[in-house]
Amino acid sequence: MEQQQTEIKEQVRTFILDELARRKGITVFSDDESLTENGVVDSLGTFRLVTFLENNFNVRIADEDIVHENFRSVREIERFVNGKLNAKAAKA
Amino acid sequence: MAYLLTQLLTNSFLRDPEKAAVCARGKTLTYRDLEEQSNRLAHLLRERGLKSGDRVGLYLPKCVESVVSMFGVMKAGGVYVPLDPQQPAQRIAYIVANCSMTALVCTPEQLKNLPSDQVQCLQFAVAPNESPLASDTSCIPWNELSKYPAAHAPDCPRVTTDLAYILYTSGSTGAPKGVMISHQNALTFVYWCAETLQVRSDDRLSNHAPLHFDLSVFDIYNAIEAGATVYMVTNEIATFPKSIAKFIETNGITVWYSVPSALILLMLHVDLKAHDLSKLRTVLFAGEVFPIKYVRQLADLLPKAGLWNLYGPTETNVCTYYLVDREKLPTMDRLPIGRACTNTEVFAVDEQDQLAVEGQPGELFVRGPGVTPGYWGDPEKTKRSCVVNRFQPYFEEKAYRTGDIVSLMADGNYDFMGRRDSMVKSRGYRIELGEIEAAMLSHTAVREAAAIAIPDDEVGARIKAFFSMHEGNSLSAEELQQYCATRIPKYMIPEQIELRENLPKTSTGKVDRVSLASGAARVA
Repeated sequence: MEQQQTEIKEQVRTFILDELARRKGITVFSDDESLTENGVVDSLGTFRLVTFLENNFNVRIADEDIVHENFRSVREIERFVNGKLNAKAAKA
Repeated sequence: MAYLLTQLLTNSFLRDPEKAAVCARGKTLTYRDLEEQSNRLAHLLRERGLKSGDRVGLYLPKCVESVVSMFGVMKAGGVYVPLDPQQPAQRIAYIVANCSMTALVCTPEQLKNLPSDQVQCLQFAVAPNESPLASDTSCIPWNELSKYPAAHAPDCPRVTTDLAYILYTSGSTGAPKGVMISHQNALTFVYWCAETLQVRSDDRLSNHAPLHFDLSVFDIYNAIEAGATVYMVTNEIATFPKSIAKFIETNGITVWYSVPSALILLMLHVDLKAHDLSKLRTVLFAGEVFPIKYVRQLADLLPKAGLWNLYGPTETNVCTYYLVDREKLPTMDRLPIGRACTNTEVFAVDEQDQLAVEGQPGELFVRGPGVTPGYWGDPEKTKRSCVVNRFQPYFEEKAYRTGDIVSLMADGNYDFMGRRDSMVKSRGYRIELGEIEAAMLSHTAVREAAAIAIPDDEVGARIKAFFSMHEGNSLSAEELQQYCATRIPKYMIPEQIELRENLPKTSTGKVDRVSLASGAARVA
C-alpha cells in the first residue's frame, strides 16, 4: 500500500512537472505547496490534470470533485486519487 | 464627497466601525481593523523614509493584508503598484526598476528571488505575514505595525490629482507599461458606479480579478465607499468553477464582477441550477467580448439579475456601459458597449480625423477626469495616446485614444467593432478579426474561438484561427470553414483553422492572442 501511494504521488508529480510547470519556468515545488497560488495549475491545467488522472488511474472524476480541496497540492491530489481507488476497490 | 480614495475608508469606518470590510482566506477585517492597520502601516512607511509620491510594490497573493497595504501606502502619501506574484521574477524586477520603487510588501523568500542587481532602488520591505524568522532582517515583520499609532494617518499634504496607484499592463511591444491613476481618476469611476449600481452597505461584493487588473478597483473601492463587505476570490477558488459557485452561494454574493471568460467557465462546468444564486442582483463584466450565446445562457440562469457590459481600457477605468436589455437579447447578434459614464465624454473619430457620423466606424476617444495622466516614465508613449482634444478649441485639454474602433448606433449606444490594430487588410479587404471570431462562436459546437492575422508580403495578411469545442461534439476545421462561409464573406474565412483542446489565457483570464500569434508566426 505504502509503495502504491508513493507511486501515485510520483506519477502525479511527474505529470504536473512535465506538462504544466516546466512550460511556465517552474521546476521546483513541494508536495504541500499550493499549485494554484504558485501558478503551476490554472483552470485549463486543471482539466488536463483531470483527464490525466482519469486515464492513468482508471477512475471517474465528476465535475463535483473538481474543487480546490481535492486539487490544492500534490499531496491533496494523491489523497483524492487514493480515495477514488479505494471506493472502486470496495465496489468490486 | 471624498477627494482622496483613503477618505472613503475613513468615512465608512466612522459610520460603522465594527462592520466587516474585507474577507479572504478565512480572515475578516472590520472597518476599524482596516482603518487602524492602514494608519499604522502609513506611519511605519513614513518612519522608514517613504516620501510623498514614492512607489511601493504590493508583491503578495491576494489577502486582507493586500487591502491594508493599498490604503497604508496612500495614507503615507505614496503610490502603490500591485504586482502579480505569479509572474516571473525578471518581469517583477523590470517593474520595480521601471518606476524606481522605494519599498515592497512581500515575503523574505520573494525578495530573495528577485535579481538583486536590478532592484537596487529598494530601500526596505515589509512582510505581510506575522513574523518572518528572527534571523532574517531583510523584511520588516507585519507585527511591527503594533508599535505605530492607530488613531490617525500621518500628516502629509495630498491633493486629488496625486497618483494613487500604477497598474502595469502588457504593452504591444512586450515591455509592460505603467498606467498612472490619480485619486481623482479612480474616484470619478467609483462615484459613477456607486450612483448607477446603487451599491449599499448590505451588499456583498466579490473580488474575482487580481489586484493588478483594474476590474478590482470597483470591487475594493465601491465596497469600501458603500460600507459594504468585499469577499476576495483567491486563486485557489478561482481555478475551480465548482469552488467559485460554492463561494458565491455561501457568502451570499450580491454583486459579481469579472471577465466574461470566468463566467463562461462557470456556466460550462457547473450545474448552476443546483446552486442558490438568487442573492446575485448585479453581474458586471468587462475586459473582452462576451459572446452573445453565453450572455443569453447567463440571462436564463439569472433571470432577475441586472447584467452590465462595462467597457474601458485601464487608462480610463470604465468609460462606457450597457445594461443588457433582456427583451432585445434574443435578436441581438452582439452586445454594444453602450454609452458614456457620468462625468465622462466619448466620441468616435474617423480616418479623415473628423467626428464620425452615426453608423460610421471611428476610433473611440475619451475625455474627462477619469482619464489617466499617462504612462510612468514614458512621455513619448503618453504623447501618442493622450492627445490634444482638437474638438474642444477653447483651451488645451487632453483626450485618450483607445485604439478601439466603434460606431454610434441610432439608439445612442456605441457598438464595439474591434481593435484598430486587429483591423487588418488582406487582399485589399478590410477585415475585422472580431467578426470572424463571432462567426465561429455562433456554431453550437464551438466553445472558444480566436482569429489572428499573420503578416504576409503577398496579400497583406493571412488569417489563421483557433477554436476549442464543447465536450462530446465533433467538428473538423474544414466543416467550421464551411460553416463560416455561410456567415461571413469569403475573403474573411480563415485560411487555416486549428482545433485546440483549450485556448491559452493571459494572467488576467483573457484569451492570449499574442501567444497564439507568436506560435503561428514561428510555424509560418
